Amino acid sequence: MSERFRSILFAVVLSVVISVLLTAASTGLQRFQEKNVLLDKQKNILKSVGLIQEGRRYPPGTIEALYKKSIRAVWAGPEGGIIETPIGGEQDMPIYLHIQNGDIHAYVVPINSRGLWGRIKGYLALRSDGSTISGFTVYQHAETPGLGGEFEKEWFQKNFVGKKIVDSRGDFVSISIAKGRVAERIPKPRRDNYVDGISGATLTGKYLTAGLRRILSEYEPVSIRFRKHGAKFSPETK
Amino acid sequence: MELTLSKPFAAIRRSQSYKAIRACLWEINPISKQILGICSALAVTVQLRTAIVMSLALTFVVAFSSLTISALRNLIPRNIRIIVEISIIATLVIIADEVLKAFLYDISKQLSVFVGLIITNCIVLGRAEGYALSNPPIPAFVDGLANGVGYSSILIGVAFFRELLGSGKLLGFQVVPEIFYRAGYENMGLMLLAPGAFIVIGLFVWLQHTLIEK
Repeated sequence: MSERFRSILFAVVLSVVISVLLTAASTGLQRFQEKNVLLDKQKNILKSVGLIQEGRRYPPGTIEALYKKSIRAVWAGPEGGIIETPIGGEQDMPIYLHIQNGDIHAYVVPINSRGLWGRIKGYLALRSDGSTISGFTVYQHAETPGLGGEFEKEWFQKNFVGKKIVDSRGDFVSISIAKGRVAERIPKPRRDNYVDGISGATLTGKYLTAGLRRILSEYEPVSIRFRKHGAKFSPETK
Repeated sequence: MELTLSKPFAAIRRSQSYKAIRACLWEINPISKQILGICSALAVTVQLRTAIVMSLALTFVVAFSSLTISALRNLIPRNIRIIVEISIIATLVIIADEVLKAFLYDISKQLSVFVGLIITNCIVLGRAEGYALSNPPIPAFVDGLANGVGYSSILIGVAFFRELLGSGKLLGFQVVPEIFYRAGYENMGLMLLAPGAFIVIGLFVWLQHTLIEK
């Protein structure tokens, strides 16, 4: 058996064995991994409305129970109404309502934005006044650790709390990530619509700003309804 | 009494495995003496918890990759040797990563890319090339285990100081009492950043070199 043939044969056999092992491991563990991802999603939605805190450990089952009690997963209709079942297809706009004492306390919009190296996924929670941000979380991204990756840190996400997606006149302007510090770069009347940027992560900030604007304008009909009716906005309204 | 107790201990002390592990903890420690694997030692030692998980993952990978490569050492063609070794190491790392994602999801998110980077950790490939290729499987396994233990000792030591001094906690539990903070004590923020890690590792290296000279 020639040297070269032996090498090729060994490589082929090794590749097959490794592929089988990795596929077996992946499919075998898939169930557990998916459960973790779902739990993580619930945790992030709860975190964005402030029901749980970052860094604290919760006994198993509490997350699921809290989620079931306070969050309703529904869909936004084309005219801004809330519908119970999706229309189906790409027009689907999922939305999560934070219910407290029968009233809608906040609504959570899933964010799926372009980032520099991949998608940035997270949740943006808005208060029932339809204008103020009550929380922002990032749960998946492919940005550079230490630069764009800092977007998943609590200090960055906390900056979003209290900011507004409308300007002083009530027009929709979305929320933007400034290049540098808001206090230094942005004029006073606009400061509520900007959060501090991260040095070295300008492009990530640019893409996320554009992604947030795109998604928030899609959900604008819902926000307009909230601005008009506030917490009394009944989920059954079409 | 003393004689009968010390006999089995003396036997263990003379065994090859014990000598290998002790050497890797001290004389030829992979991080402080061979200066390998520094990158992950900087990144994952911010907290004791992540350092422990990373240590276990690396020890698992280096022990079993050395075992596998040693078992195949007469079959691996010379001209694709390095690629075969890396493939085997990568397979083990991916399996370790998948297991972490399935059972320790929160920690795996904190470790993020660094579990994958075990593939590039010089210790693993270094032991494969330097020992596993020319020695039988069981000694190779022990050698891998020993190097893993040596690496873990430094990682856990560094993480211990970084978490204690940098956030006043150990394993997530508050250790520095509240009265210290009120008296004006502040956490050393530098310990949470890479330069702080560099300094602690540097001190460990210096300490070990000084004590061994003696």
